[in-house]
Amino acid sequence: MGKKKFFEKELEDFRDQLWGCARCNWCQNHWGWNVKSAEFSEICPAFHEYRFFAYSGMGKMYIARALLEGDFDYEDAPELVEIVYLCTTCGACEINCQRLQDKEPLKVTETLRARLIKDGVGPLEQHKALLNSIRAYDNPWFQARKAKDRWTKGLRIKKLPKEKTQILYFAGCTAAVDPQLQHVPRQSVELLLNAGVDVGVLGEKEICCGSPAARIGERELFFSLAKRNIALFSDLGIKEIITTCAGCYRVLKFDYKEIPDIAEPQFKVYHLVEYLEMLLKEKRLKFKREIPFSVTWHDPCHLGRHCGVYEAPRNLLKAIPSLKLVEMERNRDQAWCCGGGGGVRSAFFDFAQKTAKKRVYEAKVCGADSIVTSCPFCEQNLREPAKQQGLKLLDITDLVMYSLGLKETIM
Amino acid sequence: MCAKKVKPFRLPRHIYNALEAVVGKRWISEKRAVVETYSKLSIEAASFLRKHQKDHTAIPACVVLPANTEEVRKVVKICNRYKVPFIPFTNGQVFCSTTVPKPTVVIHLSRMNRILQIDTENMCATVEAYVDYTQLQAEAMKRGLWNGGCPLATSLCKLSSQFAFAGLWQTDLKYGQLNRNIVSVKMVLPDGEILETGSRCLPGAGDFWEYGPGPDLTGLQRSAAGTSGIVTEITLKLHPWAGEKSLPEVPHGRPSLQDVHDPRYDAAVPPKNHRLYWIEFDDFESEIKAMREISHSGIAIGLNATGVYSAYYCSQTQELTEKRCKERFFPAWNCYVIIAGITSPKQIDYEEKVLKEIIKKVGGRFLSEDYKRDVLYALSPWNLDWVRHVCGYRMNRRMYANAWLPVGPFEVAIQTQRFWKDALETIGECHITDRGGAEDTPFIYALHRGRFCFAEVDNYPDPTNPDEIKKAVAFSIYGITRLVKEKVGNTLMAFIAVEPMTTMFPEVGPKAYLLFRKIRKVFDPNGVCSPQRQVYTDEEWKQMPQDIFDIVNKMRVFQGMKPIKKEEI
Repeated sequence: MGKKKFFEKELEDFRDQLWGCARCNWCQNHWGWNVKSAEFSEICPAFHEYRFFAYSGMGKMYIARALLEGDFDYEDAPELVEIVYLCTTCGACEINCQRLQDKEPLKVTETLRARLIKDGVGPLEQHKALLNSIRAYDNPWFQARKAKDRWTKGLRIKKLPKEKTQILYFAGCTAAVDPQLQHVPRQSVELLLNAGVDVGVLGEKEICCGSPAARIGERELFFSLAKRNIALFSDLGIKEIITTCAGCYRVLKFDYKEIPDIAEPQFKVYHLVEYLEMLLKEKRLKFKREIPFSVTWHDPCHLGRHCGVYEAPRNLLKAIPSLKLVEMERNRDQAWCCGGGGGVRSAFFDFAQKTAKKRVYEAKVCGADSIVTSCPFCEQNLREPAKQQGLKLLDITDLVMYSLGLKETIM
Repeated sequence: MCAKKVKPFRLPRHIYNALEAVVGKRWISEKRAVVETYSKLSIEAASFLRKHQKDHTAIPACVVLPANTEEVRKVVKICNRYKVPFIPFTNGQVFCSTTVPKPTVVIHLSRMNRILQIDTENMCATVEAYVDYTQLQAEAMKRGLWNGGCPLATSLCKLSSQFAFAGLWQTDLKYGQLNRNIVSVKMVLPDGEILETGSRCLPGAGDFWEYGPGPDLTGLQRSAAGTSGIVTEITLKLHPWAGEKSLPEVPHGRPSLQDVHDPRYDAAVPPKNHRLYWIEFDDFESEIKAMREISHSGIAIGLNATGVYSAYYCSQTQELTEKRCKERFFPAWNCYVIIAGITSPKQIDYEEKVLKEIIKKVGGRFLSEDYKRDVLYALSPWNLDWVRHVCGYRMNRRMYANAWLPVGPFEVAIQTQRFWKDALETIGECHITDRGGAEDTPFIYALHRGRFCFAEVDNYPDPTNPDEIKKAVAFSIYGITRLVKEKVGNTLMAFIAVEPMTTMFPEVGPKAYLLFRKIRKVFDPNGVCSPQRQVYTDEEWKQMPQDIFDIVNKMRVFQGMKPIKKEEI
């Protein structure tokens, strides 16, 4: 029998790992070689806030072991559901633990979530609402399908399936329907069109990629969305997908392959920053205007740590005249999460905002006047703390558009 | 599968409420899922066995997270008032003990994580109990200082807990262990009183020296394994740091979850003004001779042998570890030398010259770009791990437990090898059959300019297999009996420090354990602080399970030693 794909694994498949957790604590801490200060030496937002081991990656390993071996059940531990969902799925624990111990605390957490759902005790009410919305409207935000097309208003862009192209811009549900984020997909498409990319969009035909369902642990819903998307892309002859959503990117590029009995995706997936970097190298982007800002790049977890896209956005920023890129102490694989992922913003808003405040503070400390990123969830969650601490929050397309001379103001 | 539930003890409500009144509702928990995570320790095989046996007494009744010394004091006072056992907990390796068959309170110090002061003038730092080596180093290095070394797993090891019972460093050659680098401690004694040791015990006198008036109280607390109180603040000596303000980045960038096991991310370069030399030898005798000569020459800040252990430390996957063990990829007889240019970069050139002369005389070979380049490349995590040990904890990928760490002159490493080989043949091997330390060098740490060394050999049982874990326990008992029988150095640190080993070897004496027991009684009149750890009380000795007593006695007889009688001790 071949190696099991992640989404067919049960807790039993992690038994060796669960018994073998060595309490090394690197699931809670910034990789030792890279630590520059005590202040930014921790890496798990949940442990940082709650301080009991149960909230760390190690804690989940212990809890999963006990549950697996029948040491307790849900009646004995009604708190279990909250503990398991108080995780942003940022993967900071996972990267350090995999690197050191060959163990997967995040995969264990996500498998625990799937088990809670299978056993009828999960997810949380807020998550049920998101999932019900996806079932009803193909997006988690209770928006009519037509709403997914609003951001394209006034844009001269190919609409699939009426028009044909092999390159799809996949907006993702959040940026498509949040009025404060709709400029991001608009600018993304404008940038691609300006560089001569024959790109099209699905508009109201675009359905959720399944990321929220995957992260919450609702596997069946995720599988069905993935299969529908793969079939749709295949029918349309899509060869390349470009997205600005870190969550969509991870799911389309890596998670679909981890679904059992699924057709091998026949398309390449790019995050916009990767695509723009390619265009830059091909000299199809020519920055003109200077931007005398001191900016720092916030690595979205699902783009950076999960998928390894670290340098593309930095190379883009470095190419903008007069722009100074400064690094936060916790960057790339060791970046501190914005706090919004894994269903945390929906279910634990205060914790999500506290985590975001810490990230914005870190950006200020490193000397930046702006925090730049490219993920709708990060942008939603960082928005208010950035405002409160007087830091500009920018999507990378804001800077790129302005420097190219495609818009008159940055924000 | 056995689905027997494991129900921990619950504290009586009035005690729980009293604890809650101290720390506040948010910082106390008896929730089943929460207490579970304080129940199985890091490297203690017996605690794994208790989980396999579904021993409900292995789980604490509740966990409290005090914010400061005063809250710790109040919690301890309550525990004494009601005679409730308590266990200090940083990360579950050496500071804590396992729970006892009574409702037990875990005092988790995770909120006490501040660096209180770095005194650059007087070269010392004061930190709270949960501060780890990485945090202290990061802050000290910005000021051109460091604490002098790090143990295996810098993040796991908090300085306070290392003081309680460990503190072995890769740079012990120059700086000695942690316990030689303590200025003072502030601690809550087992009865809830506060003790400050060293010169700081006289208010206003300053925190500069480990000795205060009267007997050496700091010394009495060293290696007490938490039984004589909870360290809440610790002041450490600092030393000049010759490197950059932060450690250098690995040139190949950072991994992601997609390529996390790529060895290039471990291809670290040493900090500025530091150099590492790897040397292989034809045999163990040459290795030991070279280590002695290097130590005595006065060069270098660190000198250690790793042998097959590098197959754990420096291999990115378990598969690669096992492959390298099988292929004997790493030199069986080796050592590495860390040279620092503390006074001047020219110091490195001079010391390198001395090192080369020694190796030429003894007959070793330096690994280099021209000789075993791939091995040298594979060893590159050590270029930073000797400063902040991270990759090395790969040895605990499955489980690592019940190590032997005999200490003595360099010859002790040769004895260790012989005893370890015998143990492997007597008891049988555990999961990875590398025979580490039997057919190659044990891990050797040269201490205190090479006056003596620790020679470590380890077990890697399968944590899911109780039979293998029992074997690991048997190795411990074999080790201590053999080492005591053969009169190998001071074995206290590694074994006898944990009961029942303190009490069951009256050869260690004369009657030292009786004095320990009296000391414990003075500090811990109610026998509630880390019970059954380090030194039994009279009551605990009487209640010791017969099966454990019998196992140790059986091994004594096997080794040709006289069995002990409980009533005679």
